[in-house]
Amino acid sequence: MSTDFYKTSILPFSGIIIKLCRAYTNTQEDFEDYYQEVCLQIWRSKENFREQSEWSTWVYRISLNVCLTLLKKKKNNSQHFASDSLPIEETEDNDAFSDEALNQLYDAIRKLSEIDRAIIMLYLEEKSYQEIAHIIGTNPNNIGVRVKRIKIRLKKILDGEIN
Amino acid sequence: MEKSIENIWKEGFLKSDALVAPKINDLYNQKSKHVIDKFKRAFNINLIAIVVFAFVMLAVTTFNGLPIIGISWFLVLIGLVVVNKKLTSGLEKIDYNKNSYEYLMSFNKWLQEQLSINRKMARLYYPFLFLSIVVGFWFVDAEGIPLGERLVGEVLYGFPDIYLVNGIPLIGIASVLIIAAVLALVGGRIYNMDVKIIYGRMFKKIEELIGDLEELRG
Repeated sequence: MSTDFYKTSILPFSGIIIKLCRAYTNTQEDFEDYYQEVCLQIWRSKENFREQSEWSTWVYRISLNVCLTLLKKKKNNSQHFASDSLPIEETEDNDAFSDEALNQLYDAIRKLSEIDRAIIMLYLEEKSYQEIAHIIGTNPNNIGVRVKRIKIRLKKILDGEIN
Repeated sequence: MEKSIENIWKEGFLKSDALVAPKINDLYNQKSKHVIDKFKRAFNINLIAIVVFAFVMLAVTTFNGLPIIGISWFLVLIGLVVVNKKLTSGLEKIDYNKNSYEYLMSFNKWLQEQLSINRKMARLYYPFLFLSIVVGFWFVDAEGIPLGERLVGEVLYGFPDIYLVNGIPLIGIASVLIIAAVLALVGGRIYNMDVKIIYGRMFKKIEELIGDLEELRG
């Protein structure tokens, strides 16, 4: 396998993968592991790509499925699982980006349940409710309601009203 | 004015350093850390170990005059390998290309099926292996006569009025059957405990994710 696939088919879409992996990890080490695993699974699954959807949507779907079924290293979150809250002080990845507001938003997103994280990430990437439902396999009618709830929760977390 | 989360998101990623991909070394030769691949690797290592153990057991027991034990264990262990090898082929069918719900459901379906089959087998092979040990030792040569018969003779010498069924003390038969029954009862639980120790976190996580998605589907 040449490195061309990574350069031509993954790297141009690395932004999607980075954004998603950041939302599911708390440390740089975990993030790099997740990023690598997603890239590996995209490469392994490339034969299954049917051109019914865009490559970027497909990359999103694989990234999400990998992130949802990977387990973080025990030392980081043996007590913080699935929808458990993760106190900001225990997040070692607070300064992953130079933009402070973005870092705070990420910290807030990490406090959501794993499915809510997926939904809000897709929403922030400007996917329609229909597309979000299609990617995660749910009813589009419920996505809008859930997005509203997640935004309220995020706002409260950012304002320090809830942990 | 306070920024909306949409604006924080958009503006945050406008900066050039926001999306720098980490350096990846030798991606295509990396060992996958994904749970499905971990399962495959663990399964294959286990199966190889079981095959090796089955042959060693067969050789050692036959060499020591206990062929019944060796053959019984060999058959059970090879049977386990064949069944589990077939089960791992189901992992290949799990497609990342599905939506998250279908992906998680197909993974969970495979997991549950695998657990259920192995649990049922554990209920059978624990008592079977125990009985094979009892029968194996019963027929082992003890100075010209089977060990079992020799032991019965010694028991009868001490307790001449003991109740016999086909020449075997009833209390002995009952004890063996009770132990076998207990093993049949706890076999599945022992297997569950084993699996829970290794994959408990994963099971819990999958259950929670599916539960959340089903709520959204409703």
